[in-house]
Amino acid sequence: MDMKRHYYEDVQLFTSGVIVFWFGAFIVFLALFPFVVKNYYVYVANYMAINVIVVIGLNLLVGYTGQISLGHAGFFAIGAYGTVVLMSKASFPFIVALPAAALVAALFGFLLGLPALRLEGPYLAIATLGFGLTITQIIGRIEFFGGRQGLHTPELTIGPWHLDTDIDFYYLLITLTVLLAVAARNLIKTRVGRAFIAIRDADIAAETMGVNLVMYKTLAFAVSAFYAGIAGGLYAFVLRFIEPEIFTLLMSIMFLAMVIVGGLGSIMGSIAGACLLSWMDLQLRNILSIPYVGLWLEALSQSYFSITGISNIQYIVFGLILVLIMLFEPLGIFGIWIRTKKYWKTWPF
Amino acid sequence: MLDFMQMIASGIAVGSTYALMGIAMVIIYKTSEVPNFAQGEMALISSFFAFMLLDQYGLPYHLAFAAALIFSILLGFFLEFSILRRAKEPNVLGLIVITIGIEMILLGLVSWKFGADPKSMPFPISPWESFAIGNVFVSQLEMLTLVVALIIMVILFVFLRYSKLGVAMKATQQNHIAARIMGIRTNRIMMITWGISSFVGCVAGLLIAPTTMQPFMMWDPLLKGFAAAVMGGMTSLPGAVVAAYLLGIIENLFGGYVSIEFKSAVAFAIIVLVLCIKPSGLFARHYIKKV
Amino acid sequence: MKKTGFWVLAAIVAMVYGLSFNVMAEEGLTGTEIHIGQWGPQTGPAAPWGAVARGTGDYFKWINAQGGIHGRKIVYHMFDDAYNPAKTMAGVKELQEGTGIFAWACGVGTSPGLAVRDYIRERKIPWVGPATGSSHWITPPDRNLFAVYPLYYIEAKALVRLGVEEMGFKRVAIAYLNDDYGKNGLEAARKELIAHGKKLVAKVPVELKDQDMKPHVMKLRQSKADMVLLWVGPVHAARLVGTAKAMKFAPQFMSTSTCSDFPLMMHITKGLFQGVITASFAEMPDSDLPLMQKYKKEVYEKFAAKDERWGVFYYAGILFVEPLVEALKKAGRDLTREKLIFELEKLKGFRGIGGELSYDIYNPKNGYKSRGGMREIFLVQCMEGGKAKKLTDWMRIQYP
Repeated sequence: MDMKRHYYEDVQLFTSGVIVFWFGAFIVFLALFPFVVKNYYVYVANYMAINVIVVIGLNLLVGYTGQISLGHAGFFAIGAYGTVVLMSKASFPFIVALPAAALVAALFGFLLGLPALRLEGPYLAIATLGFGLTITQIIGRIEFFGGRQGLHTPELTIGPWHLDTDIDFYYLLITLTVLLAVAARNLIKTRVGRAFIAIRDADIAAETMGVNLVMYKTLAFAVSAFYAGIAGGLYAFVLRFIEPEIFTLLMSIMFLAMVIVGGLGSIMGSIAGACLLSWMDLQLRNILSIPYVGLWLEALSQSYFSITGISNIQYIVFGLILVLIMLFEPLGIFGIWIRTKKYWKTWPF
Repeated sequence: MLDFMQMIASGIAVGSTYALMGIAMVIIYKTSEVPNFAQGEMALISSFFAFMLLDQYGLPYHLAFAAALIFSILLGFFLEFSILRRAKEPNVLGLIVITIGIEMILLGLVSWKFGADPKSMPFPISPWESFAIGNVFVSQLEMLTLVVALIIMVILFVFLRYSKLGVAMKATQQNHIAARIMGIRTNRIMMITWGISSFVGCVAGLLIAPTTMQPFMMWDPLLKGFAAAVMGGMTSLPGAVVAAYLLGIIENLFGGYVSIEFKSAVAFAIIVLVLCIKPSGLFARHYIKKV
Repeated sequence: MKKTGFWVLAAIVAMVYGLSFNVMAEEGLTGTEIHIGQWGPQTGPAAPWGAVARGTGDYFKWINAQGGIHGRKIVYHMFDDAYNPAKTMAGVKELQEGTGIFAWACGVGTSPGLAVRDYIRERKIPWVGPATGSSHWITPPDRNLFAVYPLYYIEAKALVRLGVEEMGFKRVAIAYLNDDYGKNGLEAARKELIAHGKKLVAKVPVELKDQDMKPHVMKLRQSKADMVLLWVGPVHAARLVGTAKAMKFAPQFMSTSTCSDFPLMMHITKGLFQGVITASFAEMPDSDLPLMQKYKKEVYEKFAAKDERWGVFYYAGILFVEPLVEALKKAGRDLTREKLIFELEKLKGFRGIGGELSYDIYNPKNGYKSRGGMREIFLVQCMEGGKAKKLTDWMRIQYP
């Protein structure tokens, strides 16, 4: 049923009409979304979309190329600062500043890719982690970038279009997210993507087959950093204010967790993972206002724990969800999806 | 010159806690290839356990610390047995996320129970009284930490090299399946590994806590310990210890002579340089992968 | 005359409107409720500051227990943002667009506050008492934003003056947290020393994640400072003082209101904090001011959670909203946002448990006068057992 008879079947973007239909339906849903929900959820969607962009980029690196990065908050920061500084100090228009900043991030990605040629596993993790920590220190040191006191973002306009509400920004973000997601999927189906996958599966074997390791490993880092840079530039406009302390190690760890929970080597998984974890990140603080459960937790705190620390329950729940997903489904959400699909395909057997 | 000596001394002093955390990371990594991000929080919960016994139940020091150490071993057993062992078809990245999850749970539990206010653990030795060697000052607590770190390192080194259990652990690390065939209960070995590692971490936590304790106190030692372990080769105990002391000294010298702002960051820059020259760290043999 | 007439008319219209339709006259306001929101980190590394938000909550509970304000109860919405601006923004939007918030109170932290500032300004929602002394809030000022916390700037000036003029210290050094808070203090100390014909002999940045303070103390010791300003948080201050003790370096330490919780500081330094001088913008915990005693007895002892501590952060949460409550009381039954702002601007020489506080008609050119809030602080020294000795009375410092 799934047999491929022709090379083009392997590289085509949409494998069947059904997928085209659902993709179209999804786009329509995204376009109508702001009209049916409260403005707050548009903000949440924006936040999710930004994480989706980073995570897709990071998945290209972690899931497809088999490298690891605990320093993506660094690229994210470069994108954010680059965009804001180019716009407010050099008065670049947004549509130029954003890709320019992302290219700077990509350049840093390329540089970080160089040590990655020799490192793997925990060694690479520490190297990238060091990068993430250092870059915010350096940014904080430079007064031109606002130092530790941070920077305010300028007004956002694209040509005649003035984006000042969440809904305006939502359309910009969603367009970019869809484009970047499709681009990532496309990239995977090309020669470059296959080279990435070959490196992931066995880098030495890939090299003997003629894959240029130097080029493709650094390219993977650069592409991944580019995605993070774009996302960072957009994030600055969600917050309208940036300072170095926002881009913490915790953020990098969260990005990595999103990739893995979503499912390594799957764009759909990345989207799902980023959405799930960022939603939890924003919404778990409301856990105490769930009827009954909240009261019960309060009583529990009163007698065994402390009321002042009660909000920390959200961390426990978050941690539990991470652990449970990974325990029962090592492939992440993508794995759950595959299993459900298989189940229905073979139903009732 | 005096300043230089003081910086070396301070570097060694701070290196001891890094060394303990580094050892703890290495022990787990050696058998399961997982960098354990929950290490710091495992130590945290054990030291807060000791704090609770001292502060709320008024136990004497020796009982409270002994109880905390036992608690830490049991915690290690429990986490391995009830969570990590249950992972289906585990892969390294999945296990990393599990350890991140455990980290959040433990951190949440500690902050929930004890609130966020900084605290100070009662301790028989004052953290702020110091010995003067000439004009170089080393605090009593740091001296104790140094001694404890060295003792633990020696014991573990001897234990892993010469005892039956240690050899079994090594076998488990080298080849899980072969070890099982030879009659080693690898599951049990893993559990013991987690116990030992948690114990070492707890010692580090107990030695950090007398200065000030708060839920986030183990982040920095964990990162530095992890960094030291990586620099030392991630599988070598002496490597981790030597790298930890190097890291401490470099940090202090850099802070003293170049820039105090980049003190923490420089450690990572140096690690990247070291790793570029020796990709498997200072003390591990480079493992050549076969296709 | 004309003005009064206008207000009477406005009041009648509001009442008729309120009676006949019984809908919200203004967002976040009903006939029986006033919705007030606040964010405060209850989790994460900044969680000790979360006590501010809890203090405010208990204060509102007390007010409600006394019958509320002109027949309206305060409905307090506090959420945890973990000091993460993205979460602050999420929470503010959710509450503002979901429940509807009449006014925002306090809000812990400079960067979370700066992230939501534009949003709150655009909707013209009153916001009283951001819980930091950053100069961001008044340069430039917003019409709807009323600062309460005295500027870090004047704390630094007062401390330097005391040290240099009265105690005769020659060499002043500073250890500052490398963020907005620390930079504010550094800048002010530098300027004040220049005015005295001096320079800082050492400027030592402390990173938030730094734990080992030996390199920092060595720098301070090398500079042979006889007075050291600690522009850091409580934990770093404790570590710095302790490490200095271990390295036999004993200058006069001075610190900010952030570290003025002496019982806590004495506990975490195991008694070494004795002798340290800090600035303070609120009465000390053991103050015998009647209002302070009243708050302790009636707010803290009746409404606080059992593990809450009567510390500076906790009752700062009360202090920051005192002007808001005062203005709400004065605004009367026919409340609107405009009226609240009007009443806040009329506050002159108001004093609760902090320094004297005045606002003025909005003036974009003079943020300090029109929106600066509290202008007074005093200096205290930590004595045995965490007791405080007042070194000065409330004092007023010029800004800038």
